[in-house]
Amino acid sequence: MIRSAYSLQAAEAEIPALSATPLDVVALLAQAHHPEAGAVVLFSGEVRNHNQGQDVDYLEYEAHEAMAEKMIAEIINDAHAKWPLKIAVAQHRTGKVAIGETAVIVITSSAHRHEAYEANQYIIHRIKHEATIWKCEYFTDGSKKWGGNCSCCPPAL
Amino acid sequence: MKIQVFAVLKDHFDKEFELSRDIKDIASLKAYLSNQNTGAEGILQISRFAVHNEFVDLDYAIKPNDTICIFPPSSGG
Repeated sequence: MIRSAYSLQAAEAEIPALSATPLDVVALLAQAHHPEAGAVVLFSGEVRNHNQGQDVDYLEYEAHEAMAEKMIAEIINDAHAKWPLKIAVAQHRTGKVAIGETAVIVITSSAHRHEAYEANQYIIHRIKHEATIWKCEYFTDGSKKWGGNCSCCPPAL
Repeated sequence: MKIQVFAVLKDHFDKEFELSRDIKDIASLKAYLSNQNTGAEGILQISRFAVHNEFVDLDYAIKPNDTICIFPPSSGG
């Protein structure tokens, strides 16, 4: 069991926090199973075709990559410290992301679902609001707008 | 010092530029850039600053060879 857990943690550490190519949701999920986890929660943040009444053509994400990678790793570590997680991984796209594609994925695994759900919300909330990543919306009318994702903003968990 | 700006700040400044003026700290830099480009004042007020991949406070003493990154509020996800 110890060897098993060690290898899974190593796999978790090897997943890059940023990707300039499409995220492989199925492959990431395949790495998130754990013999001690009865719950796996997967959040996929996907590009929708409208925002605040405007038709979205695509999104483009810019990042300060070194800091974003470090911050996402810290957020994952903080989640591990707060909840008894077996696996926690997150990956965010950079560059142009088409409608329906995944912009960010967070997967949490734990013995029971409560911790996995809570930790997943915590991780995505902090990534959206703290990591050095920015979204630019490109609309079908040719205009663009930076940021503007924050209609949610419940208090930080 | 070298300045790098990100996201919406690129609509107001070059992505990367040199400043040879004597600006002592981040607060002074923020004030200087706001004066240079009043349209960016609001976004600069809510931006974060980093040097050597670490966030720095307004009282950080700028060194001549520093590269200072200016980050508008994050909008990932």
